[in-house]
Amino acid sequence: MKRIYQWLDKRFLVSPIIAKAQRTINFALPSTLTRQNKSRILWLTYPYYYAGAITAFLAVLQGVTGLLLAFNYVPSGVGDPGTATPAYSSVQNIMANVPLGALIRGIHQWGANLLIAALVIHAFWAFFRNPYRIGREVTWVLGVLSLFLALAYSFTGYLLPWDQLGYWAATISIQIMRAIPFLGDFLAQLLLGGTSLSATTLTRVYFYHVSLLPVLALILVGAHLLLVVLQGVSEPEEAWKTKIQKQVAPLFGPFFPQQILPVMIIALVTLGVLLVLGAYAVQVPGDPANKFVTPQFIVPEWYFLWAYGLLKWVGWIYDVVKFTPPAAVFGVDLVSAKVIGILIAVAMFLVLLLLPVIDRGKEVRALWRPLKTAMGVWWIGFVATLTLYALNEILSAYLAIPIDTMNIILGSIVIAVPVIAATPTYLILRQNLAKMKP
Amino acid sequence: MLPRANSRSPARVKEMSEKDPLESAKKPRRPIGRRQFVEALASVGVLGTVVSFLSLLTSLLPSAQTSQQQGQVDNVFKYGSEKGTWYSDKSGTDVQVADFDQVGKGAGVLWRGTIPAIVIRVDESKLQGATATNGLIAFASSCTHLCCIATWHLDRPNEDVIFCRCHDGIFDPYNIVNDAMPDGTKYQGAKVVGGPPPRAAPIIPIEIKDGKVSATASSLTTYSYCG
Repeated sequence: MKRIYQWLDKRFLVSPIIAKAQRTINFALPSTLTRQNKSRILWLTYPYYYAGAITAFLAVLQGVTGLLLAFNYVPSGVGDPGTATPAYSSVQNIMANVPLGALIRGIHQWGANLLIAALVIHAFWAFFRNPYRIGREVTWVLGVLSLFLALAYSFTGYLLPWDQLGYWAATISIQIMRAIPFLGDFLAQLLLGGTSLSATTLTRVYFYHVSLLPVLALILVGAHLLLVVLQGVSEPEEAWKTKIQKQVAPLFGPFFPQQILPVMIIALVTLGVLLVLGAYAVQVPGDPANKFVTPQFIVPEWYFLWAYGLLKWVGWIYDVVKFTPPAAVFGVDLVSAKVIGILIAVAMFLVLLLLPVIDRGKEVRALWRPLKTAMGVWWIGFVATLTLYALNEILSAYLAIPIDTMNIILGSIVIAVPVIAATPTYLILRQNLAKMKP
Repeated sequence: MLPRANSRSPARVKEMSEKDPLESAKKPRRPIGRRQFVEALASVGVLGTVVSFLSLLTSLLPSAQTSQQQGQVDNVFKYGSEKGTWYSDKSGTDVQVADFDQVGKGAGVLWRGTIPAIVIRVDESKLQGATATNGLIAFASSCTHLCCIATWHLDRPNEDVIFCRCHDGIFDPYNIVNDAMPDGTKYQGAKVVGGPPPRAAPIIPIEIKDGKVSATASSLTTYSYCG
């Protein structure tokens, strides 16, 4: 082992880098803060520290299962609408004939969902504890870009079976994309090979899914992780204070075994859950894609629902305030509420991306930052209620409530709930802060 | 315990946030030497090559050949493939005027294999703003909202409306109004009476030949708003 290392070191001069990485990694991740701090609230936050590690674990798993699926998948949507195209048949083949094919596909499918969930937890954690303060802005920006990447992965992956649901979910997305002022049609043609879905689109989307996105992911996520390893994990402020004031022995245990143990436990549990879901709850492709027949109840994946709901909600607001905009302003179609919805969504993501620039505060404790925490709560509430709004047609059909009434109920929820959640948060935290800081 | 992890101590972070005064120390300005000149020349060359390679991106745009219509133009409507309808087993065959034997009967059809449409037998006395051909009228059925395919009497069998199941867009085939595409092209279509669609569903002018229903429009431009 040592000789291999020496061989490598002689040729690639790796030892200084490895030594530096070893130094940081050994003390990088905060160990069982709860035990060290003897504080109760941290038990709550404890698992979130490992959401990033779980995301990385799931990403590797997605890579492995995706590689196995790629051996049997045929990226061709050539064929008459409504008939089984090679892509559709090959997915059927994976499900029926390929040994363990259904399980591998199930793990890949559920792995994608869990990965996004872990990533969202990781992102919210980072949002509230702002580890992006001085020196770590790039890590945050790389993280947000990786989040885009994960969404692009799942968007492209959803289309690959070339079934009705994937086809129509993507059709709606393309039409929304076309509403982007001036650039929409051009972007659709450049990225998807046309202003509507075709066999060309499937080939391109497959290329993105298996070739372009993995390369980008390796670069972005690699840089994100490298920065974390070199700079060390951002510990909460109270950890420093405890260390300095009480002079207690190391707060942050070495990477191995203290740090890696909980990660391995959570990873194993995740793997178990994935195996069960993949084996028993795999989603079978529906009817083959047919561009002339729209199936009932098309919904995108759950993590895109908020954007879908946003468009619907803006349209509802238009109706309520009886807003009838001019048909076109400088060639931009303002009638269908699409442009406004897109602008709001883009603004939301820009705020997320540029958060380190916008928020220069040094305080890491969420409870000590009333305004930011309240805004975060409002944001979560807004996204969550928009997700609910996206389901208005389905809810109205199942609860037998007329769609107009349903829209009024859900539309008011979108306006009210985030404010109702954020206002007391702000007031209580501000009062608390006044008590804490005499 | 050694004072490890100095890269994360508060003092170090504070230090990091302050700029190093030595960095911005002035250097004496020198005339451009041969090395700088060659460097500048090389950078311009490399940059120019990279920029000129960007033009290769145009190969990503759809080629003219794929978007061209090929073969003989057949304007006769063919029955669509919606399941559980009276025309399900006629899918792909020519639309016959004799099939529309009563008012309110309608079918999802396909025009030139690319434009989905709806043909409906209407009560001509109630029709406003347009005239029917042998009691029949046809509309493009791609919803003007987000291009889902609207249907007739499929989700709402008891209402005489063209209904889009994606976002509950509703068009009234008895109320024909003037409207305009975003590019300004004027057209007539079924009025939006509910839901989010921004524009009326365009009428497709039809004629009856040998008992078959076919479109008379020579151009697809008004109807290809869904790409």
